[in-house]
Amino acid sequence: MSLFVHYFSLPYLLEGIWFTVAVTALGLAGGLILGLVLAAMQLGRFWMLAAFARGYTVIFRGTPLILQMVFAYDALPQIGLKLSAIGAAGLALAANEAPFIAEMLRAGVLGVDRGQVLAGQALGMTPALLMRRIIAPQAFRTMIPALGNETVSALKNSSLASVISVQELTLRSTQLASSTFDFFSIFFASGLIYLALTSAVSVIQLLVERALDLDRTTRQGRLAVFLPWRRVDLSTKLNLAEPASAAADLAHSPPLDVPARLPRAASRSDRAAHPAMVRRNNVAVEVTDLRKNYGAQTVLDGLNLSVRVGEVVALLGPSGSGKSTLLRCINQLENWDSGMVRVGGRRLGHCDDGKPLSPRAIANERASVGVGMVFQQFNLFGHLTARENVAGPLRWVHGMTRIDADRRARELLERVGLSRRADALPRHLSGGQQQRVAVARALAPNPSVLLLDEPTSALDPELVNEVLEVIRRLAIDDGLTMIISTHQIRFADEVADRVAFLSGGSILEQGPAHEILTNPRNPVTARFLSVMEADKAPENKA
Amino acid sequence: MHKWFSTEARTRRARSAAMAGLRLALGAFLLAGVCAPMSAHAAPAGCQALQAKYPAWKGKTLVNAINPHTPGYEAIDPKDPDKYVGFDIDLGEQIGDCLGFKLTYKAVTFAALLTTLSSGQADIVISDIYATEERAKAADFITYSKVFDGVLVAKGNPKKLTGINTSMCGAAAAENTGFVEVPLVQALVPQCKAEGKPEPTLQLYDNNANCIQAILAGRADTYVNDVNTVDQAVKANPDKLEKAIAVTIPYSVGIGVPKNKPEFRDAVLAALIEIQKAGIHKDLLKKWDLDPNNFKEPDILSVN
Repeated sequence: MSLFVHYFSLPYLLEGIWFTVAVTALGLAGGLILGLVLAAMQLGRFWMLAAFARGYTVIFRGTPLILQMVFAYDALPQIGLKLSAIGAAGLALAANEAPFIAEMLRAGVLGVDRGQVLAGQALGMTPALLMRRIIAPQAFRTMIPALGNETVSALKNSSLASVISVQELTLRSTQLASSTFDFFSIFFASGLIYLALTSAVSVIQLLVERALDLDRTTRQGRLAVFLPWRRVDLSTKLNLAEPASAAADLAHSPPLDVPARLPRAASRSDRAAHPAMVRRNNVAVEVTDLRKNYGAQTVLDGLNLSVRVGEVVALLGPSGSGKSTLLRCINQLENWDSGMVRVGGRRLGHCDDGKPLSPRAIANERASVGVGMVFQQFNLFGHLTARENVAGPLRWVHGMTRIDADRRARELLERVGLSRRADALPRHLSGGQQQRVAVARALAPNPSVLLLDEPTSALDPELVNEVLEVIRRLAIDDGLTMIISTHQIRFADEVADRVAFLSGGSILEQGPAHEILTNPRNPVTARFLSVMEADKAPENKA
Repeated sequence: MHKWFSTEARTRRARSAAMAGLRLALGAFLLAGVCAPMSAHAAPAGCQALQAKYPAWKGKTLVNAINPHTPGYEAIDPKDPDKYVGFDIDLGEQIGDCLGFKLTYKAVTFAALLTTLSSGQADIVISDIYATEERAKAADFITYSKVFDGVLVAKGNPKKLTGINTSMCGAAAAENTGFVEVPLVQALVPQCKAEGKPEPTLQLYDNNANCIQAILAGRADTYVNDVNTVDQAVKANPDKLEKAIAVTIPYSVGIGVPKNKPEFRDAVLAALIEIQKAGIHKDLLKKWDLDPNNFKEPDILSVN
């Protein structure tokens, strides 16, 4: 026992900790950098890079670390790369950790809800911005336990550096054992030192998990302050900045739809007058001969649609008729095979010479043209509060200051009746509340067109009305240009100027809402409408 | 770390000290020197001329790759673990003093000694390594010591081992990876077969401590290695271990140097000759309780 205490406190062994930690740190840091590169290559658009990263992973995950250490130490000097022992050990450990870390990163990224990515794209976020603001923060949280594991594993693996003369704990222990013959006391002591180190890693892991736990720290986690994507909230200093932000608000009012923002009257007779009014307006969205196939299945079959500024068009039709695909094409969230989409007179997704744009360029185009989108599944950013869901994209995409963005978010949340829930996370909101936040988020940048993809289909029946009421007000009070795919016949009748009935990827019948809905000419439309009328809970239909 | 053992009993330290003293004209003077720290040895007079002849290493710091698991030859100092001590360490320092270079140490496994040298991660290997033809393909050697091995067994020699011979049939021998004893034990396989006995088995480890531990744990029956190492192990565990016998092995211990640096090899050889002429080599054997019969005039072993 006294021998054990002697060795446990022996400076020679304790100094070995430094080497162990140094090799581990080099291995983890290098592995993280290399792992990021590998993961990016595999998640990217270029198959050559992905194949290269795959090959690397196969080789370095498939060979023993001890061989890699010896290789880095003894073979690299043959090509003129003579690293120090610690350097060679760190390099080998990094090369070995990288594929494991890359797989963790990949799993984390792929684990982030695809819907949130779509929503981010629809808001005009570039791929890099999406990664930084939406995917990485959420992926990082899920990866912490695995990262903790990997750190412990790297710490233990660093002992293999003893074969290439790094004076770390294991090598020092064996040397000491050889010279003193106190085999067990020494290895118990060094085992305990390893245990202390790995326990420290576990404690750090738990602290980080705690600090980043969204349920504990709804606003600012203590540690989250240090993360680039979560800066200190300035809202406490809002009063100071009040006068400066008034001008900024004006700067952000939309030029495109000012003439169309005539208040719409709610009465039936006034409603009837509205289509005639918008008929003189400019074309906001024009879809020409749009075709799209998923393999052998035709989704859009030469579809034509024209929507004028201030007009509200409801898309009706059975599931699979192409409503959602059409909306996603209008917002460039999907590619199509032929045809053209113009929004505000601009042909989206292509350069002037007709070549497809890069994802980044498309994102910038989306942001500048202004097409807002509301999804069936809400797709709120899960790690951000309701306020941040609205304010974040304003800052990141549209360059608003935090103060202006927060003000705009507060206004919009108030309009959708959620000012009291501004600091709640999406997971703490009901479906109806989430969808109202999603509407606020889509409206925040003042889009010229708002696309709503079955906005109430995922809601419990008792929550449908609160969302429909919000949309109704947008149509009637604000005169917003909207294309809504829906199964809510009565709602379409109330809100829409025009109804388009889709079947098999093209428009079967379209015309003034009330006329089509009460007196359809096409037998397919008639049959669909009668089925929907018969269904007592149509809002449940997906 | 391969030393070998003659079948004669090893002389004890008191006797060897006396013999050395008698044999040398300056015996009395040198006996005093043994008690003083090694740094008390000034570099021999001829070294000045060597430094003039081989100036390339003067003032340099070279890396000595060692497998520091052999107390007496090279191991960390239990009293000050930041230092390496032993006969080989002192000899290396003497060579360095003579040629004007300093040494730092790189601790590697035994099997990695020569790869570390040939990859350029070390400049010299002075680590009780036996100079064999096979190893001379990887490095040039300046031999400096004869080899005697001891056969380490559990107390009472339960398997009745009598050397590296058919008494080892069916026994388990612990050895370090890369040791010359490994092929010697393997060579017993056909002999044992011919006599209808079970084959000896080999367990390969990384260092002496593990080999000795294998016997203490009852996993191995014997560990054949340099007799001094074996004696040290017995001294540390007198109730559990004993030396069955000492045997001679037909090798010499050598200093390994890179094959592509013949000038360095010649310089080390010349320095070693000076050190031996000054009687320092024998003093060092005495200082570390090693058998003076280990003493050997240097040769070069180099194969293409």
